[in-house]
Amino acid sequence: MNNTAILEVKDLCKTYIINKRQNNVLRNVNFKINEGEMVAVMGPSGSGKSTLLYTVSGMDKMTAGDVKFCGRELSKLKENDLAKMRLDDMGFIFQQMYMMKNLSVLDNIILPAVKSDKIKESRSETMKRGQDLMRKLGIIDISDNDINEVSGGQLQRACICRSMINKPRMIFADEPTGALNRNSSDEVMEELTKLNNEGTTVMLVTHDAKVAAKCSRVLFIVDGNINGEYNINRKIPLRDRERGLNNWLLEMGW
Amino acid sequence: MYFRILKKDLKRKKTMNIILLLFVILATMFAASSVNNITTVLNGLDYYFEKADLSDHFIITLADNGDEIEDFLSGVQNVKDFRREDQLFFNDTALTKNGKKLADIGSTALLLPIDNGKLNYFDKDNEILKKVPEGYAYFTGCLVKGADLDYGEKFQLNLGDTEITLKYAGLAKDAFLGSEMFNNPRLIVNNADYDTLIADEKVRENNRSSIFYVNGYNSKTLESDLSDIPTNTFSKGISIVRTSYIMYIIVAGLLLIVSVCLILVSFVVLRFTISFTVNEEFREIGVMKALGLKNSSVRGLYLVKYFGIAVIGAFAGLLLSIPFGNALIRSVSDYMVLGNDHTVLISIACSIFVVLIIMLFCWRCTRRIKKLSPIDAVRSGQTGERFKKKGLMHLGKSKLGATGFLAFNDIFSSPKQFCVMTAIFTVCLLLIMSLANTANTLSSGKLLPLMCTQESDAYITDTDLIAKIMTGEKTYKGICEDIEKKLADNGISGKVSSEAMLFPTLEANGIKASPIFMYNSETKASDYTYSEGYAPKYANEIALTKQVAEKLDVGVGDKVKLTFNGKTDDYIVSALFQSMVQMGETGRFHESFEVPDEFITQVMGFQIDFDDSPDKKTIESRIEKMKDIFGTKYIDDTDGFVMTVIGKNVKDTINGVKLMVIIITAIIIILISVLMERSFISKEKPEIALMKAMGFKSRSVVAQHTLRFAIVAAVASVISIALCSPVTKLCINPIFGIMGAINGVDYNIRPVEVCIIYPAIIIAVAVAGAYFTALYMRSIKASDTADI
Repeated sequence: MNNTAILEVKDLCKTYIINKRQNNVLRNVNFKINEGEMVAVMGPSGSGKSTLLYTVSGMDKMTAGDVKFCGRELSKLKENDLAKMRLDDMGFIFQQMYMMKNLSVLDNIILPAVKSDKIKESRSETMKRGQDLMRKLGIIDISDNDINEVSGGQLQRACICRSMINKPRMIFADEPTGALNRNSSDEVMEELTKLNNEGTTVMLVTHDAKVAAKCSRVLFIVDGNINGEYNINRKIPLRDRERGLNNWLLEMGW
Repeated sequence: MYFRILKKDLKRKKTMNIILLLFVILATMFAASSVNNITTVLNGLDYYFEKADLSDHFIITLADNGDEIEDFLSGVQNVKDFRREDQLFFNDTALTKNGKKLADIGSTALLLPIDNGKLNYFDKDNEILKKVPEGYAYFTGCLVKGADLDYGEKFQLNLGDTEITLKYAGLAKDAFLGSEMFNNPRLIVNNADYDTLIADEKVRENNRSSIFYVNGYNSKTLESDLSDIPTNTFSKGISIVRTSYIMYIIVAGLLLIVSVCLILVSFVVLRFTISFTVNEEFREIGVMKALGLKNSSVRGLYLVKYFGIAVIGAFAGLLLSIPFGNALIRSVSDYMVLGNDHTVLISIACSIFVVLIIMLFCWRCTRRIKKLSPIDAVRSGQTGERFKKKGLMHLGKSKLGATGFLAFNDIFSSPKQFCVMTAIFTVCLLLIMSLANTANTLSSGKLLPLMCTQESDAYITDTDLIAKIMTGEKTYKGICEDIEKKLADNGISGKVSSEAMLFPTLEANGIKASPIFMYNSETKASDYTYSEGYAPKYANEIALTKQVAEKLDVGVGDKVKLTFNGKTDDYIVSALFQSMVQMGETGRFHESFEVPDEFITQVMGFQIDFDDSPDKKTIESRIEKMKDIFGTKYIDDTDGFVMTVIGKNVKDTINGVKLMVIIITAIIIILISVLMERSFISKEKPEIALMKAMGFKSRSVVAQHTLRFAIVAAVASVISIALCSPVTKLCINPIFGIMGAINGVDYNIRPVEVCIIYPAIIIAVAVAGAYFTALYMRSIKASDTADI
């Protein structure tokens, strides 16, 4: 981890108009994520966690404020540039493990690589990289399977492989363990932690303190504001980290 | 609660419900208008002739011998009744406008005072014409297009020493002489105007004409019973009037095919859409079942919903079917009174039928509800027990780019839904191709053998010349010699001949028939093509068409009694052939058969074979020169001759139908592309959002969706090209069969049109429809993945 900011968020606001009523989901949010960090965003339901993730990753438009990713201001980028940035420099993992229904697991994983021209390689090399990632995450056996034929845990690990295929600088994960049982959840977090240890920055949204305890920092969001920030010492045992985090969350009114 | 779920469903799935409603409207519109048109076309000429009160037989005389014919008819036992219609005849030069010839129709026209009319004539709205205001004239047949006048426009009629000015009153439909094949248009005027003309002595002497409409006790033998009619008359049975409408029947027949295709397309689309929408409901069905709703309740919910949509759609479709049906039939309705007396009833019956069919489809599709379990709500419609492999292609092994791969893979993964589209596009394309092949064949020399005519360098079809033989003004040989001489005087040497039409009576096995016999002293019977037997070798051998042979119950080698020129002899049927002359009721004599010159009263046209066998370019320039020499524009090459015989405007009419079908097809394909793509977007919204989240640009996703339609249209094009010839034969041969070509026709298939132009149109239309609809995907954001 170094002190170079990969994501800088200043006075970020996001407002939805629902039935002519203005709903301020994010209100002047400010934070920074340095390269190599693994940051969890926590908060009660409806606090704006997912909106924050989608807005700072350029998937959704901000109403006001500045978001800089790798030094580039997202609000100044055109739709196509944002798409290219998502394809080449960002990886995404969703709670519902969305995948293309008509493709096999391996094809789903390598699809962003085939679309991108970031890494110059042949199709067989792309396929080999996809298989290597699957092997690394222990799901090589399901490479030719249909997405309906695999378990949730395997599918989420496949989603991690897909998010990693273009060697992104940062992974955004929206409740990556939300639809998984404890064992699968632990496995997925283990993989994300490994990726982070290898240098990939991770920002994830979670409800689960056990998951958040594996990160280096936790941002607590309430009613669209970052109400507090909690740094975690990843050198102490996980159980102690989790206890400390829970105490802090209690203090924050969780 | 039940209706609250239903209300919520209608609101939430607005797009898919609207798509389904549109398809129901289309299906009802196509079904109601098409069934009406099918009924109309099948009623066809019988309906028209019945409305017009046409008789079994007719006699035309262009001389002042009406009373003589009247006496003759009164003496024939088989004549049940007859009506006499006195009128005037004149050449097209008599009609002028501002000193110039009004229309170049190249034939004899008639002037009928409305009160003398013994048939029902109709205005453009199919109302019986009962009165014509003084000073006005209705036009029938080819004169309508030829004169191209607006209502109230003035023109002059000069007969004898009298000139009257008339105003154009509009088009009228004449069941007897109204077809362009007869090319004898009529002016229907007020009796006062007729009286002004007939008061002129010269007109009384030179222009009087009568038409007799004769009904017999035995209509089959009436023609032979009237064979002793005084000369200088044209006496024929109703079959020749039917023949004159054959091209309109072809057009109507083509419309019938269009209608059947439209019904097929609409029901296939409807079946697909219903099954598609029900399959999309798995999540809701699963949830409802999980909540404890019974199968019958869930099924009832969907049946009520589809019934509501079906009733609303069928009612809207019923209203739209009336103008749509009229637009379909318009191409032939200028010449014929087409219709049926039960339009509204048929439309209502069709709408009810569509609703029933929809409910049947829904009943069948909702059977799957029984099989869907709560687990389907979480397992994307799969039961978890029997998974099937979806993708057949592998991205890792494919050479295609991501967009191309996804497009192909989608098609291979959901073959059923794309096969339905391919089938619809193929049907539409084959429809256009068949019509184009028909139009091209009708205007090509390929039909020449079916007109019992050998290929020549040029053909003169000027009706003034032909009329000279009919009226006995000149003999057939005399005219041929005149033409040859005139050509030689202008430095063109050639042989002139003609296919003469003779009217003998045949009898075999106690059955009589009166086919037209073709005879050309300058050609050999062996020059023509026969389907069975051998060409007549001797004067006592004849060839018959299969229709005549079947009618007489004879075959090759059998004897028939032939009466001609007052003599009856036995003749051997040596061959069978096919012909379109008099709807296939044709025969052929051997060239050595002796025909007195005065017996040749009808010819197909004068054929000219130049002595020096010139090339095509020289022939073309000679034809132009001959038009100046003979002062007529009715000199053509082979293609032009075929078109003249068939009717110059028939090609235009068929091309009009073709254009209309192209437009209808284009609209259908656009509608299908738009509605299908919209339903695909609705179904694939999660994947679209996911692709955008992964970094796919909007244009990539739009390209992927558009490409799927392009692939489908391209596949449909390839299938259509392969099937073009057999399908054209399958669909159009029966229509040519009605005309007499029962063994089929050698179609003029133009590769550029069939392989390039029409597929390009279909692909372009499908791609445009899909592309502009796919642009809607721009409104789906990457962040929508969170809301799915």
